[in-house]
Amino acid sequence: MTGAAANFAGWLAADGGRPDAAGPDWLTARRHDALARLGELEVPTSRQEGWRYTSLKALLEQGFVRGDAPLAALQPDALQRILIPGLDSHRILLVNGRYTPAGSAPGDLPKGVRVGGLRDLLAQDPDALRERLNRVAGTEQSLFAALNTASLDDGLVLLLDRAVCLERPIELIHLSVGQDAPRVAQPRHLILLEDGAQATLIERYLSLDDALYCTNAVLELSLGRDAVLKHERIQMESRNAFHLTTLYLAQDAGSRYQGVNIGLGATWSRTELLTRFRGEQAECDLQGLYLAGDRQLMDYHLDVEHGVPRCTSRENFKGILYGKGRAVFDGRVLVARDAQKTDAAMSNRNLMLSASAEVDTKPQLEIHADDVKCSHGTTVGQIEPERLFYLRSRGIPAPVARRMLCLGFAGEIIETLSSEALREQVSEQVGQRLESAPLS
Amino acid sequence: MLSVKGLRANVGEKEILKGLDLEIGPGEIHAIMGPNGAGKSTLSHVLSGREGYAVTAGTATFHGQDLLSLEPEARAQLGLFLAFQYPVELPGVNNTYFLKAALNSIRKARGEPELDAVSFLRLIKDKLKILHLDDSLLKRAVNAGFSGGEKKRNEIFQMALLEPKLAILDETDSGLDIDALRVVADGVNALRSPERSMIVVTHYQRLLDYIQPDYVHVLAQGRIIRSGGKELALELEEKGYGWIDAAEQAA
Ligand SMILES: Nc1ncnc2c1ncn2[C@@H]1O[C@H](COP(=O)(O)OP(=O)(O)OP(=O)(O)O)[C@@H](O)[C@H]1O
Ligand SMILES: [Mg+2]
Repeated sequence: MTGAAANFAGWLAADGGRPDAAGPDWLTARRHDALARLGELEVPTSRQEGWRYTSLKALLEQGFVRGDAPLAALQPDALQRILIPGLDSHRILLVNGRYTPAGSAPGDLPKGVRVGGLRDLLAQDPDALRERLNRVAGTEQSLFAALNTASLDDGLVLLLDRAVCLERPIELIHLSVGQDAPRVAQPRHLILLEDGAQATLIERYLSLDDALYCTNAVLELSLGRDAVLKHERIQMESRNAFHLTTLYLAQDAGSRYQGVNIGLGATWSRTELLTRFRGEQAECDLQGLYLAGDRQLMDYHLDVEHGVPRCTSRENFKGILYGKGRAVFDGRVLVARDAQKTDAAMSNRNLMLSASAEVDTKPQLEIHADDVKCSHGTTVGQIEPERLFYLRSRGIPAPVARRMLCLGFAGEIIETLSSEALREQVSEQVGQRLESAPLS
Repeated sequence: MLSVKGLRANVGEKEILKGLDLEIGPGEIHAIMGPNGAGKSTLSHVLSGREGYAVTAGTATFHGQDLLSLEPEARAQLGLFLAFQYPVELPGVNNTYFLKAALNSIRKARGEPELDAVSFLRLIKDKLKILHLDDSLLKRAVNAGFSGGEKKRNEIFQMALLEPKLAILDETDSGLDIDALRVVADGVNALRSPERSMIVVTHYQRLLDYIQPDYVHVLAQGRIIRSGGKELALELEEKGYGWIDAAEQAA
């Protein structure tokens, strides 16, 4: 093997060479194409713009290997521990990247909705996804997306026919449980909404223990004309885990995407959101909240491409950093020459609770059209002493007061989550994390 | 109840309080008047423990305790309350949640049981009525986007809820329309009791028509330069502060 493929041999296949997972021939061919691409790609270094502040050293050192073994039965109480009380959803459970019917509860679905595991769907209907997979992602130039395609095997499939509206959210739970060796799971999620379809997707990454593992998820999302998708992603991996997400989104005219990205877990986490518009008057709203403490990196890359006129995009990310926590926000909005009347606003605000925390924030607007409304702003600040004093003057002890102010800061993003049950869970998690945060 | 002796305090290099004395007994209402920049807010802040002031001399004793050595929250738990001249906006911090945290922190420090959600809500609904405040304020973030008058009323509402032993009202009347002034004054008067004392900082005699003080002090250049009964306020209204300055010079 050559290039990056050699560095990630363990990720690719059990025998370290040929991707040999099940599936139709066209899929095998695509895996081989991706593998060939990996032979040409190099492992990124800090000389590359997108990797300037983020090192792959720790991730490479773990020597993750692909997990192929069928999963042992889940502990009986495992499910109870991960469900959110009061969240009424169509539930799909993946354990270590593999669709697990035992913990899934898709429930009654209206006509025109297909939800399930990718591997199952490929087995039942081998050609159903032939034209759909890779349509949005294309031929990935990104190393981790190519790795995912080369090992493509399972994940979530959500297909909504024309004008179908799902009332209850789809909840994708990606649970990782510790195994004999540090394993990598590479789920591939395909979410396609035809014209006028509407849905909410909640995507949760979590673990029941402090296991060491890696998740390398790739999502392909496509919204047809006037389709609406609310997409809430909660990353609560184990504190020893590595997490990668590469999300490709393409939107047709008049469609609306409302994404919320909450990052709380993992020791090393990188999220790339790559969005583009295929038609006019589409809206893309990306909200984000991340917490980074000791031994924790939260790395976000946004690439929002306005290639057609009259689309709107919002990127609003907030971070709370404490201890030796680190974060990277690298946001790029590109407005092409023809994309007149573009309305784009990007903001990244960071609350630093300690002097040793660090954030590298770099919002960029690249504007080639002349009739547009674009703005960007970043802040890196501390808790305002005036506010802290106001709370303390009412008898509230300083640590509680600080936590209240942090939760207030985070609240703007948490409020954008669509379900009360999920908002409560996230607030509680953020509160708990802050409780253990050294406030200096 | 409160005894301030020879208090001197600096902001940076600049001395603002220059040997201030003040004695307040239980149930008494003291008005403090004085020109802009005299140090009235500085006194309120030093007493309530705000950072940024260096006390260089003097003492402040509250209920027998050395007030100046306590953290701000400990002072509040002892029963001190400051109604801010400029109430602070806390975006994202829900008002109900804030009020509950404050009340329960104070109760806990006093060894009283925390209030459960139901009794707490009943209590705040009662207090809201006194201040003619709408309960929609409870759902909003603390002071965020409140009008000037709403902010001031919210301060007195908090005071009604926390039932302090000594309340310092720093220009609570400024920015209030005539009706709101009346409501606030009624709220304050409803809280008068033989155990509760107040310091009312104001520029206007008008407020003192509603809240009748037992004593009036003039604070100028960092000291109390004149004390008297409520007739002193009337005299000040008529003659301004120059008159006292002149009297000082003559003395
Ligand atoms: N943080 C600060 N930095 C510099 N100077 C300050 C600071 N705080 C107060 N001062 C100064 O201290 C003096 C007293 O201010 P203070 O706010 O106590 O006056 P005041 O009597 O409350 O006035 P007003 O009637 O206008 O409210 C002023 O000259 C003010 O500029
Ligand atoms: Mg003042």
